[in-house]
Amino acid sequence: MTSVTIEKNRNILWRLFSSVKLTIVLLILLAVACIVGTLIPQATQSQMESTEFAMGLSPELLRFFIFLDLFDLYHSILFRSLIGCLSANLIICSINRFPGTWGLFRAKVRPDREKPFEALPPHQVFLTKGDISQVSEKISLFLKSHYKNAHTKTDTDRHFYYAEKGGYSRFGVYIVHTSVLLILIGALIGSFFGFEGFVNITEGDQIDTVNLNKGYEELKRALLNPSSVKSHPHNYKKEDDILNLGFGVRCDKFTVDFYENGMPKEYKSELTFVSDGKEVDKKSLMVNHPVQFRGVTFYQASYGQIPGKNVRLKIVKNNETGHAFSVETEVEAETKLPGNEGLFAVTGVKTNFMNTGPAVQIAVKPFEGEEVLFWVFEGYDEIRKKLPGPMLMSPKFSPSAFKPYTFILEGLDTIYYTGLQVNRDPGVPIVYLGFCMIIAGFIITFFASHRRIWVRALPDKKGISVSIAGTSSRDQVGLERELMHLTNGLKAYIEG
Amino acid sequence: MLDSFILSSITFVYFGAFVLYLLMMVMARDILGRIATIITWLAFFAQTLAIVLRWIRSYELGIGHAPLSNLYESLIFFAWAITLLYLIVEKRTKNRTLGPFITPLAFLAIAYASFSTDINEGIQPLIPALKSNWLIAHVITCFFGYAAFGLSFGLSLMYLIKQLDSPEKGNRFLAIIPGKRIVDELNYQMVVIGFLMLTLGIITGSVWAHSAWGSYWSWDPKETWSLITWFIYASVIHSRLVRGWKGKRIALLCITGFLCVLFTYFGVNYLAGLHSYAKS
Repeated sequence: MTSVTIEKNRNILWRLFSSVKLTIVLLILLAVACIVGTLIPQATQSQMESTEFAMGLSPELLRFFIFLDLFDLYHSILFRSLIGCLSANLIICSINRFPGTWGLFRAKVRPDREKPFEALPPHQVFLTKGDISQVSEKISLFLKSHYKNAHTKTDTDRHFYYAEKGGYSRFGVYIVHTSVLLILIGALIGSFFGFEGFVNITEGDQIDTVNLNKGYEELKRALLNPSSVKSHPHNYKKEDDILNLGFGVRCDKFTVDFYENGMPKEYKSELTFVSDGKEVDKKSLMVNHPVQFRGVTFYQASYGQIPGKNVRLKIVKNNETGHAFSVETEVEAETKLPGNEGLFAVTGVKTNFMNTGPAVQIAVKPFEGEEVLFWVFEGYDEIRKKLPGPMLMSPKFSPSAFKPYTFILEGLDTIYYTGLQVNRDPGVPIVYLGFCMIIAGFIITFFASHRRIWVRALPDKKGISVSIAGTSSRDQVGLERELMHLTNGLKAYIEG
Repeated sequence: MLDSFILSSITFVYFGAFVLYLLMMVMARDILGRIATIITWLAFFAQTLAIVLRWIRSYELGIGHAPLSNLYESLIFFAWAITLLYLIVEKRTKNRTLGPFITPLAFLAIAYASFSTDINEGIQPLIPALKSNWLIAHVITCFFGYAAFGLSFGLSLMYLIKQLDSPEKGNRFLAIIPGKRIVDELNYQMVVIGFLMLTLGIITGSVWAHSAWGSYWSWDPKETWSLITWFIYASVIHSRLVRGWKGKRIALLCITGFLCVLFTYFGVNYLAGLHSYAKS
């Protein structure tokens, strides 16, 4: 036994990790690392911001930042080692201290100790008259009614009583530390066996794969070569890893409600889950109300609109005043002009062109002459009032670019798509268990205390002198209050 | 609106209470302290009434929700929580010397809420992400935590000021502050309450984030800063319980901790993140 202890003590690493000084240093280092992580934009959170930040660094500094993984700090070796050290520290401290705590908890305390009664304040002593055996029995009964554990010891002329409660409170700190480890284990399980992805589903469409969130390796390449991201910000989206869910998800309908003041009130996707060609389940998905299917959780994350196929146009032939033709056409379908001067087609559709609302691009191919391309806005007159800039003077944005016709965009079909976050995290139950335990542990550690009470009855010439003493693992003020309460209660009980 | 009017008026009441508490300390006149206590209680009741009125008004507008949804409402709640906690401590310790350190915090919070031009006082409907029962639990636990840390900050300042005291100086202001040991002990109790509340706040926020954003932890700046605050106070508790640190070092750590609280609350708004609705 002793040789093992000595060997342990000799081991510098063991000694280092069993020190609470190290805990404090690690906690402060973790705080500093987190501060750094909030000051450097993290690539996995906001690629554009971290790219901009990276472009402001000198090449050497950028390489240094990348070397330390500062753009993905919370998953870097640096940060993980700190967490690892803290876990090791926590485990070793607990192993080192637990036997002592266990000893204190199991220790058989001798009731007949004199030490607790040394320097006892006078208000914790009282004199009573009566028969010692009767008084002794009353004290014993009184203590048993207040404490689960009460012991008595009598020798020739001295009567001792001992009671305790809250011995379990010494384990609160181990519960807290175990919970911290559980939360970390849950997080590890999530990162190894879970996934995070996203998918957009257009109303009426069905998907069976989702895009996994970009790994840092890929983002790192982008940071080292920022120009490629700047010029093609969307290129990187296509390289996402794809995950097959093993079942299909169809979005039957997406709705968005607004309050009177225009703020969004509710986003809702009606989802149907399809397996082997059969509809298995139907669920409504809203923000704050995720739905689960076969261990995969779906969250309402975003939405958007894409143009549908149908475009309604009005075409006015200017020389025949007031004569307008309504045309309903599909994107890319060639249609004859009303006066048969050529063909036209809708070649581009934007639901929100330059923040002015819907617009379509029209290509007119006359039988004689050059092709004419121009954009037609919905509510052109309104826009012209708002933006009288030279931009609208350009023939590219004039609805009358092909004389003598004026094109008016009457309406555009739009379809909603719903943006879903798709996750699986088997670590969550363990993390939540850690959450519950840490709270229980805190309450035990900080609000319960191990209280030990000694009572001594000494018969002498004047009567029986009863003294009450106690110790507490914490909260001395509370102990004093309890001792006062006990003294008064006991006195009343014996005399009453 | 009556509730906004009450709230902006009691800004001055809190200021008045602060002046009275301060005069009590400087002039060593107990009667001033008693008046300050009465005024603070009255302001607290008026503030409670205003919060209830605002809550009712949100239902009259047809967008009923607890008044805990934006920066204005959170500042009002912070001032309310710190005043309540202070009044409880004052009643239990039968000592008013913490008053001049805490009433300015309540005053500043309400003054900022009522008179800053960047803060929207209107009752806004809840966006979908905020429509959750976790909102109330999350905000209440966080702000009671912040309030307890605010008291710990006041007590730490008190401790550092008390250090300047010596019997030969005969400074009334310093002499009236209770002994360093008592201040230190009370400070630790506040840290424990704050730490428990902050932990509950982080946990409720985390469970909520898991159902709203799909992840119980996203390293959003506000989340990260609350964790930084948690680390600081965890080190306060460890250094005291195990290493036996007391007094000045604990006071300085607690002041650092409260600065982190303030950054978690306000500073984070200058960093991008998911908690953007708490900005205005």
